[in-house]
Amino acid sequence: MEIQELIKSSPLRVFEESIGGGLGRGNLGVLVSRHGVGKTACLVHLATDKLFRGEQVIHVSFSGNVEHVINWYKEVFNEISEIKGIDDASKIYNDILANRVVMNFSQETVSIDKVLSSLETLVKHGSFKADTILFDGYKLTSANLGDVRKIKAFAQKLNVEVWFSVSPVRKDVVYNEFGIPDTMGPYIDIVDLLIGLRMDEKENKVDMTLVKEHKNKMIKELSVSLDPKTMLISK
Amino acid sequence: MSDLSYMRNIGISAHIDSGKTTLTERILYYCNKIHAIHEVHGKDGVGATMDSMELEKERGITIASAATNVTWKNKEINIIDTPGHVDFTIEVERALRVLDGAILVLDSVSGVQSQSITVDRQMKRYNVPRIAFINKCDRAGANPYKVTNQLITKLALNAVLMQIPIGLEDKIEGVVDLIEMKAIYFDAGEDLIQQRFAEIPEELKEEAAAKREVLLDVVSLVDDNLMEAMLEETVTNELLIAAIRKATIALKLCPVFMGSAYKNKGVPPLLDAVSAYLPCPTDVENTALDLDDNEKVIVLPSDNDLPPVVLGFKLEDGQYGQLTYVRVYQGLIKKGDELYNTRSRKKFKIGRLIKMHANEMEDLVEASCGEIAALFGVECASGDTFCDPKLNYSMSSMFVPNPVISLSIEAVDKKASGNMAKALNRFTKEDPTFRTYVDPESNQTIIQGMGELHLEVYVERMKREYKAEVIVGKPEVAYREALTQKAEFNYTHKKQTGGSGQFARVAGYIEPIIHDDNEDSPKDYEFVDNIKGGSIPTEYITSCDKGFRLAMQKGTQIGFPVVNVRAVINDGAWHPVDSSDMAFQTASLNAFRDAYDRAKPAILEPIMKVEVTCPTEFQGNVFGSINQRRGIIVSSQEEGVTTTVEADVPLSEMFGYSTVLRSLSQGKAEFTMELSKYGKVPQSVSIELKEKYQKERAEANKK
Repeated sequence: MEIQELIKSSPLRVFEESIGGGLGRGNLGVLVSRHGVGKTACLVHLATDKLFRGEQVIHVSFSGNVEHVINWYKEVFNEISEIKGIDDASKIYNDILANRVVMNFSQETVSIDKVLSSLETLVKHGSFKADTILFDGYKLTSANLGDVRKIKAFAQKLNVEVWFSVSPVRKDVVYNEFGIPDTMGPYIDIVDLLIGLRMDEKENKVDMTLVKEHKNKMIKELSVSLDPKTMLISK
Repeated sequence: MSDLSYMRNIGISAHIDSGKTTLTERILYYCNKIHAIHEVHGKDGVGATMDSMELEKERGITIASAATNVTWKNKEINIIDTPGHVDFTIEVERALRVLDGAILVLDSVSGVQSQSITVDRQMKRYNVPRIAFINKCDRAGANPYKVTNQLITKLALNAVLMQIPIGLEDKIEGVVDLIEMKAIYFDAGEDLIQQRFAEIPEELKEEAAAKREVLLDVVSLVDDNLMEAMLEETVTNELLIAAIRKATIALKLCPVFMGSAYKNKGVPPLLDAVSAYLPCPTDVENTALDLDDNEKVIVLPSDNDLPPVVLGFKLEDGQYGQLTYVRVYQGLIKKGDELYNTRSRKKFKIGRLIKMHANEMEDLVEASCGEIAALFGVECASGDTFCDPKLNYSMSSMFVPNPVISLSIEAVDKKASGNMAKALNRFTKEDPTFRTYVDPESNQTIIQGMGELHLEVYVERMKREYKAEVIVGKPEVAYREALTQKAEFNYTHKKQTGGSGQFARVAGYIEPIIHDDNEDSPKDYEFVDNIKGGSIPTEYITSCDKGFRLAMQKGTQIGFPVVNVRAVINDGAWHPVDSSDMAFQTASLNAFRDAYDRAKPAILEPIMKVEVTCPTEFQGNVFGSINQRRGIIVSSQEEGVTTTVEADVPLSEMFGYSTVLRSLSQGKAEFTMELSKYGKVPQSVSIELKEKYQKERAEANKK
């Protein structure tokens, strides 16, 4: 399959449509769930789709293991390639790698100001015109609201989309029926898009529920879900 | 020495600057081989004892792996100090070939770095059992727990803590031994750095007990005896030690030790671990190939009574004359014995036999199985096998990577020219990754190697050791050419100029070989004979193969070798009188060149994996410098005040990078690089290279 066709037929088109045409530059989007449901896979699939479209992505990891993240990209690419049969796969993979940088920080020891200044350094001095920045594993629910506002301002200044994958830190959190933890509360106003992920044991898939879309709070079950076998967003 | 269980042949390898040389130095001190401690970058001007070459002392790096022999308690330990810089990896590979076990040294702050990964891959290739030593625990930010986790996640080793630290950073006092459950301090003896055993400090008791549990769990998973004993609650320390030894030798476990060589912490327990857990020569199976019996694999039992089989693994032309380091795999060699070099097929007599300790040597009468010794004045190349004249064995060859960079050199005068030839002859024998040839077109002498520093070191050595002053040209990258698509050919070679003519026709196609990332030694060329019905007679098939190989030596784009070609022939024609070996070679050569242009040839260049470590404030400068060099930033990791940036950068853009990096970071950044892959050069560079090649050819034709 040619790359243009691949982009057109991607389940992410359906995903974008159902979240009002996409997140949009300068906005913050959040994927939230319990541990181990597949947020990183989701983010990586989102990023891979953008890379296919020639966009540039910075993957900011707070997990301490860059290789782990790099392997996720390899696996997601291989899955897509296996399902769809990409023409000239190894060349395309090498091409898209040139548009992805993985950065790793420790949230405990590196302040958000420093993270953002490092990102800006990469964009300016590394001539890396990022279109999307992913904050993977950022402990949003224990971050200070001021920090999140700084990230929002940064997204607007650099005109980039920012996606978060969030797992609650505290053990006593309560999840609602859509997989949204109660500790998310104070942050809902700042974020532009909030999607809850929840494992549906019966159907053996991960449901995605849109809880906030741009200015509107809502409850909307998305028509796409995460396939736990391939870890890809599927129709 | 007849009982080999008292012998250990080990290597110490690691990332540059993680303190291997300092550690080796301390081992020599604790084993009473030297009486004073000198630092690598020492102020006293003496330098570390192991770095014997003058040049090494000046640069603070270790180039050649000097073999040295020490005794610890009742064990005889041969240590090969291996270089850490990646340009010299052939030295590491060679050392690993002759070792039975190794200490993997890691920095407690930086942990598993890209070079540690390279070294570990090499150890896996040669099945070398290893123990880890987390060094520099006195540095700010030291974290042996983190490093142990990295051994598990990044190197996939079954790493397990054998000790926990008592204090860290500037407060490091000693370690807790999790087997004996004792604290070890290093403040006893006359010199106040010997071991002192004591009770575990109160505040560490709980942690020590927990970590011992982990140790038992991990080891019991790979050892049934221990598992059984645990269920029956009859675990003894002897049983535990035996299980760890067995699992380590079987490469199922990597015991982790820690300390600070520089602060004299943790070295004696490490030596105990070498004797307790690393294999002796008889624990490891070594093999050779019988050249008289179709290269059949022969197991070499470490038995002194059998005829000798010896491997020459390193040549050194030092102040004492020409030395060949050897390891005895089978039998025993004596002064005056006759040995047979199975490569050169020459016999020679063992003149002097010695054992080396960095700069001093000891004369030996004999060297027995498992021992590492050195021979004087033997004419040979590195990697040669010497046997009893009755045998014709060859130890399997070592993996030798292809050079990636070349440099033209020219002697300043006639005297220097003679010396240069002598030096080159010596270096190529010592180091298989260092190659030299005379370019027939420019008539220049070209040297090739694994990196800028690699070649620089040899140029320096020529000057210092051989008084050969040379003018050095600009370094050049070893480009490659490759096809990007399939192209068919059908070529007839015909010549009729009186006498017998030449006739040959070959038809078929060439196509690129697509490599899998996981291949260990990918093939550059494949020849497929699909001829049916004898349209080309069997005797000319090899001529076709030869013709293609010839064509591949020099591509038509920029005159570099063509790689990843599958050449398939499926038809042809011949003539009973006019066809010949030569005719088919010529036909194939031209068929290839003809099809090559249609196969959309591309130029490939070596892409290096570059890892820069710098204080975070210089991150921007580093990003900028990589960007200017057509580099791709793969990742960046910020930890505390330092940032590690990993990038893929074309080698052609990396010349002089160390100087640039120094000036843009006030000397605080450092970098390492190694070959990552070959990648297509961008269009603009490709045009530039082609124009340059055409110009050079036009000029050569004028002459």
